[in-house]
Amino acid sequence: MESSDWELVQKCQAGETSAFQELVSRYQQKIFMVILGVLRDREDSMEVAQEAFFRAYRKIKGFQGGSSFYTWLYRIAVNMAIDAQRRQKRNPLEFRENMDSVLEEQHEVEKDPFANVHDKELRASLSAAINDLTAEHKAVIILRTVEGLSYKDIGEILGCSEGTVMSRLHYARKKLQGKLKAFL
Amino acid sequence: MTNRCEDMRDRMGAWLDGELSRSRFEEIRVHLESCSACREERRQLEKLQASLKELLVAVPSNVSFERFWPGVEQRIERQRSWYENLLGWARDLSAPPQLAWAVPAVIVLLLLGVFSLESFFPGSRLAGQRNNFANVESIDAFGRNVAVLRENETKTTIIWLYQNQEGEDESTGEKSEAGPSF
Amino acid sequence: MSLPGKRARRVLLFSIACCLVSALGGAAETTSQIVQVKIGAILASNKGDEFDARLAPLEKQLKLMKYRSYRLLKEESQKVQRKGNATFDIPGGRSLVVTPQESGTKQLALRVHLQQGGKPLTDTTVRLDSGGNFLLGGYPHEGGALVISISATAQ
Repeated sequence: MESSDWELVQKCQAGETSAFQELVSRYQQKIFMVILGVLRDREDSMEVAQEAFFRAYRKIKGFQGGSSFYTWLYRIAVNMAIDAQRRQKRNPLEFRENMDSVLEEQHEVEKDPFANVHDKELRASLSAAINDLTAEHKAVIILRTVEGLSYKDIGEILGCSEGTVMSRLHYARKKLQGKLKAFL
Repeated sequence: MTNRCEDMRDRMGAWLDGELSRSRFEEIRVHLESCSACREERRQLEKLQASLKELLVAVPSNVSFERFWPGVEQRIERQRSWYENLLGWARDLSAPPQLAWAVPAVIVLLLLGVFSLESFFPGSRLAGQRNNFANVESIDAFGRNVAVLRENETKTTIIWLYQNQEGEDESTGEKSEAGPSF
Repeated sequence: MSLPGKRARRVLLFSIACCLVSALGGAAETTSQIVQVKIGAILASNKGDEFDARLAPLEKQLKLMKYRSYRLLKEESQKVQRKGNATFDIPGGRSLVVTPQESGTKQLALRVHLQQGGKPLTDTTVRLDSGGNFLLGGYPHEGGALVISISATAQ
């Protein structure tokens, strides 16, 4: 019978790295997807996702089961993604944009990691509109849309009230709606 | 648009998410039956949600998680060996008292060594943060396009050559227009 | 803690003095005539997800290019006099000539000439700090792109 998250956490706390490996295997894709939604870059997201699990490993002895393991883990991952995006914004973005456009000319790199969405124009506009959101607004959109988390869980992850989650979602959706009027 | 409609629309997202109280949910449901403008707002929001889901939920093509756990494990191992080295060093420090004078002496010698490192290993990283940016003083790409790209965090300079629009074969070696000079 | 003996104190003081002298002696800049040039020829492609472990020191730089796979094809180092030519054979029938120009110890100017089958591909002069590197790439190779890391250190 499959062990619950809490059972695996307790084994980690007792020093069993294999239990942590099982937790990583359960959540690696979800964590990666959340971070990818914020950072919009596959390589960076992989890197940050691995760091997020490493940080969780270091802090796991302090996890007492007050919240569910996955909301605790998401909190670590989302905070790291937000920090990473702030660092990204401090670097000149024109480097990446230039590199992408240069490589795209040679069709050697998929500029957009979400290449299997068919409507290219909508995809491009939606992608650009998401990129314009702040990291915090991106995070609520990702957690709601990708993970289907409740406002309560999202609030726990982001360390804010349900009311704040609702108003951030409302603001983010309004902004996206404004930019995509032609497609909606 | 009435104030009532504005209030309804402000909560439309939460209504679609199923996050409103029973009474609030009913209020909006009833309102939608008679307000075409709010119905249009609902339609737009639903379409936005669907597009977002399609864009964000699809796992990017060719993403492999094969190296994911090894990457995490490597970080754990690195930290472990750092701890073990530190413990070993701490153990050595509590060695017999006759050697205790050697510890401050070694530290002083190490510090002096680090400060004089540049003379022994010019350009070594330990000698101080080097500016790794390269300045391209001139370039001739013999007909290919050139992009010079610099990235701040790693201080990397990349000179990238790519084909021109006409897809000229590099092996012709024909020099078309002069490449950019910097 | 017992104090070191007289002899041990003398040895310690002498060692400290040696380090100070060498530090002061090294402070004066002299222009070295020998430059060590190191190149790495790397295949960047989207075939597979392999990252060659030998490229670990360059990982952050290479991943800026957003390819999925990086493989070291060749690594070579040569010592050359200033104004002399260091010639490297590069996979794909290419040849790279690096010529350090006259400059100081801390900064180097390199003339870099890449050719293939006798035809010139790139001719560039790059100035960088001694010990630094830059990447030259974009040449089609084996379904991906050839990237050359070039570094130079004044000896």
